[in-house]
Amino acid sequence: MLGPADWVIWSLATLFEAAVVVCSVRKKVFRRYFFLNLYMLFSVLVSVGQFRVLMHYGRSSLEYRYFYYYSEALLVISLYFALISLYSVVFQELRVERYVRFGAVLLLAGTAWFSYAVVNQSSARMLTHFVYELSQNLYFIGLVLTYALWGVILKLRETRALLVQLVLSLGVYFSAYAASYAISNLRPDLLPHIAYLFPIIGCLLPLAWAYAIWRVPGEARIEPARLAVASR
Amino acid sequence: MSRKLTVVLLSMLVLAGAMGLKTVVTAHGNSPAVFSATGAPIPTPF
Repeated sequence: MLGPADWVIWSLATLFEAAVVVCSVRKKVFRRYFFLNLYMLFSVLVSVGQFRVLMHYGRSSLEYRYFYYYSEALLVISLYFALISLYSVVFQELRVERYVRFGAVLLLAGTAWFSYAVVNQSSARMLTHFVYELSQNLYFIGLVLTYALWGVILKLRETRALLVQLVLSLGVYFSAYAASYAISNLRPDLLPHIAYLFPIIGCLLPLAWAYAIWRVPGEARIEPARLAVASR
Repeated sequence: MSRKLTVVLLSMLVLAGAMGLKTVVTAHGNSPAVFSATGAPIPTPF
């Protein structure tokens, strides 16, 4: 049975996800960050689907478990493409979108192959285990890709404020998940408490994105540190 | 051709790095990695 805190966190997360899309439309950046908005739209739809399945079958039912893990895997794949779209925005001026797309497909295929190799041993419910393993692995791929993107942003001296905010939010999101996961492995007795953290972290990413899109104008630039020093 | 090979190399590096990181994170236990992209209550993993 779900407690009031679970309902509040879930409702807020869905509200924030919808807010990202609404803010993007209002601030006219929907098309520029199309895949980010698509991911948020999918999240809202999946939340509604999960809610219906949960109400109909219950939290401990097999139907909810299947629906949850399969829909989460689809969401992680769409988050992966959202992250790749940020790479495309950063590399826009270098005209290497073709190579970014090639690398993204190759990396996704490599991750799928690796996940298959891991679950190949178990014959029972192999597809389900594969989906679960793939979504886990893609989270870690997302973490590494976000840090790599942050390195590229620093190297290219990217100054688009909104882009920087979006990437940093994503970095905090992935890092928080990895840290919680590491703590739950180091201290398994803390897992019941840490389990509360996961939905909260999932709630914070759309909040950070909605706030960034609402507050930071699409054309705003960050003053580079070197220019700031020279202008003093 | 060299650009494509660079992309292949970088993809493999990211994959190896991410899987290495996952191994490091899970080195001290085997608790299931549970993620929630939507804020929905997480069911027991398979």
